[in-house]
Amino acid sequence: MQAIRFNKVCFSYETEKPDAADAPFAENSSIEEGFALREVDFSVGEGEFVAVLGHNGSGKSTLARLIDGLLTPTGGEITVLGLDASEPKNLFEIRRQVGIVFQNPDNQTVASIVEDDVAFGPENIGVDREEIGDRITFALNAVGMSAYRHSTPTRLSGGQKQRIAIAGALALKPKILILDESTAMLDPLGRKEVMDVVLRLNKEEKMTVLLITHFPEEAMLADRAIVMHAGEIVLQGEPKAVLSDEARLREYSLALPHAYQLCRALSAGGLTVEDCMDEEALADEIVRKLSASSGAQLEIPAMEKPLIPAKDGGQAVIAENVSHVYNPKSPFETYALNGATLTVDSGAFFGIIGYTGSGKSTFVQHLNALLKLPTAEKHYRPKRKKGEEVPVRLTVAGYDLTDKKTDFRSLRKNVGMVFQYPEYQLFAETVFDDVAFGLRNFSEHSLSREETEQAVREALEMVGLQYTAVKDRSPFELSGGQKRRVAIAGVLVSRPQILVLDEPAAGLDPQGKAEIMQLLHKVHSEWCKTVIVVSHDMDEISEHCTEAAAFGGGRVLAQGTPQEVFSSMEQVREMGLDTPFTAKLTFALRRRGLEIASDLTRADLVKAILLYAKKNGAGIGCNGGGIHG
Amino acid sequence: MADVSFGQYYPTKSFAHKLDPRIKLLFLITYIVAIFLATTFWGLGVCAVALLFCVIFSRVPIGKLLKSVKGVLFLLLFTAVLNVFFYSPKEGETALWSWQFLHIYSGGLIAAGFLIARLFLLVMGSSLLTLTTTPVALTDGLESLLTPLKWIKVPVHDIALIMSIALRFIPILTDETSRIMNAQKARGADFETGGLFKRMQAIVPVLIPLLISAFRRADELGDAMDARCYAGSKTRTKYKKLRFAWRDLVASIFGLAMLAGVIVLKIMLPGII
Repeated sequence: MQAIRFNKVCFSYETEKPDAADAPFAENSSIEEGFALREVDFSVGEGEFVAVLGHNGSGKSTLARLIDGLLTPTGGEITVLGLDASEPKNLFEIRRQVGIVFQNPDNQTVASIVEDDVAFGPENIGVDREEIGDRITFALNAVGMSAYRHSTPTRLSGGQKQRIAIAGALALKPKILILDESTAMLDPLGRKEVMDVVLRLNKEEKMTVLLITHFPEEAMLADRAIVMHAGEIVLQGEPKAVLSDEARLREYSLALPHAYQLCRALSAGGLTVEDCMDEEALADEIVRKLSASSGAQLEIPAMEKPLIPAKDGGQAVIAENVSHVYNPKSPFETYALNGATLTVDSGAFFGIIGYTGSGKSTFVQHLNALLKLPTAEKHYRPKRKKGEEVPVRLTVAGYDLTDKKTDFRSLRKNVGMVFQYPEYQLFAETVFDDVAFGLRNFSEHSLSREETEQAVREALEMVGLQYTAVKDRSPFELSGGQKRRVAIAGVLVSRPQILVLDEPAAGLDPQGKAEIMQLLHKVHSEWCKTVIVVSHDMDEISEHCTEAAAFGGGRVLAQGTPQEVFSSMEQVREMGLDTPFTAKLTFALRRRGLEIASDLTRADLVKAILLYAKKNGAGIGCNGGGIHG
Repeated sequence: MADVSFGQYYPTKSFAHKLDPRIKLLFLITYIVAIFLATTFWGLGVCAVALLFCVIFSRVPIGKLLKSVKGVLFLLLFTAVLNVFFYSPKEGETALWSWQFLHIYSGGLIAAGFLIARLFLLVMGSSLLTLTTTPVALTDGLESLLTPLKWIKVPVHDIALIMSIALRFIPILTDETSRIMNAQKARGADFETGGLFKRMQAIVPVLIPLLISAFRRADELGDAMDARCYAGSKTRTKYKKLRFAWRDLVASIFGLAMLAGVIVLKIMLPGII
């Protein structure tokens, strides 16, 4: 029996707004036309693990909701475990057999205590009290969260919350588990926790898994991958084959996995290697192709040393021993920052990494005095006598943030701050008013209509939106990607010297991410001298930033070029962060005895390998058709 | 990450914390009844001793408890002052102090003192309940105590579920509010200065995104509940059952003893009011 079967299934959002039910960043035209799915045919076998890829708004979330009967198809047939999903009387049984884990862990927990939340499902279907207890034990065991049975979900990490959500689904003893972008809001450690649980359930419990994701690394773990585009299934097959079809992926607004990009770059340079996700296997192949023995030195051409960013010698941020305590002197006292010390040079494109709770967000909020140092508080009185005090210093864009006499309004004008999911802060009736909000707040005199118009126009054009096309529209009518651009324009409009962004690309599909990063480079070169980006995406930091710092335990653990930061790989791993593929491969090569600098960018690593190959005549010349893209 | 706690709950692992919330609620009701039955300072003394025992067995710092009184201090003093001046003297009682139409009698002072003591004990007792009981436990307790109302078709279970979901989302929405406020502050919004009208205006850029977010969350939560087979309370079972333990028996006996003491004193001694 097939676990899930779709037969010419159509679905269109007629009255509902696409944003409400589909991905919040729906950019695609198919939704605007009303169609979310067109004649979709596919099936999932029992015990199979299928990954669904596709850009935001491609219809993949609609798929999940149709299977579970949260939406009803407008045409075609859906069969789940032999039950017709369009029969209302089957709904209850289908929902019992299909567990869904959604994107936002906070919005799917009903109770304030973990075990009560896991009990919710079994309670709903009227399971006996004793058996509910057994099911909670079983479900929490299956996700490795038994120790947290009596905890409060609010206090758990994102990964732990999602594991609780999985446990909540497992307590119904389902045969099918659907993960609807369940890892999108998690940090790398949380993603790994969730994926480990999912893989184990699939392999050991023979659970049928449908994984909807943006991460090619996750899709790679599946038995089969499906790519959706404009409400249709456009590509399916083995994940490896699907994910290496660069031309078609690009056509569907998806991207090659970072690992494959590196392999392609090597092949294009003449050293043909197979596409490979695993750095160990790839390292083996490179060593074999190079016929390099231990001790071989791989160097980058001296001419092409990494580009040093234009600096003017000044510092945008100087922080020394910055600490911050939440809920001081209460049982909930926590040190979010514990003596963080960091310098950001003026002109840098600076990356900040760190696991959730490492203190990075708290630090960033100090930069424009949303959180103030105790000495900068209004009611602060210097104490006359005190023992040894650690000197605390925090200077941002020339403003001394330890001093309460500082003009904080002027500071905030000069240090722009874009929060995570900034589109959730839009509020005005028109895009124009929303963007102008900051401008009006910060201006010393009342602005003339022309001045405001010009500033708003420039800001909107900066973020790649057409002024006349969007200015009078409600920000809530826009697509997710456009909303985010409007929100960024709302910060840029007051022309800050320093722009700070917390996870600017979170929740976007690969193409959306690339576009946002491009936009930031443009902003960096034209408007804001210094850009500081907080991110979980290590490859993003590695490819885009000139400098980076890693936070952990409320301190700065490492600072330098991104490659230098990642080169202390074990340390980075310990912090619960992933490392970019380039760093992984570099280390795999070093473990094989090759001498190679540990702090190379992807382009430099490729150059170094190719240069060695050329010198030693290895692998080059015998590449039939190895050049791609 | 702002405030992890909400309400007043002060976690310790004391005797009082481990009590069944139903017993605590019933104990509080008994305590309130006792306070209103008491008509002498002796009677209130019994209640005060009972409260003292409760505080000791809850291991909540007395400062925390007194803080709760601070909030209603003005109200307390205001009623006391009114009582002093509106006291109707007994026959033959002479005023201690007079000024135009204002008179102070010793009886008035005693009555005011009694009232203050009464309200003080009342506030302290109720605060002790919220300090030692999580809102979730309180909801469970209330639901269980209100079960008889099901006979007259009050949807007790659904109300309890609504309450517990509301409690669950309070910290999330508090967090979200501070996030949105921060984001607007970063765009130059000012929530701290200006007159009432200006401040009300300043709140709009916070309120609208907050409302939109609350609706979005409600939407997603609804889907998540549907997906987990929620279909109203008809077929539902309940995992957590509150259980009566030896502690609860001790507390019940203690509560009844307090009530009995107050009643005995009421019969034996003449009342102040």
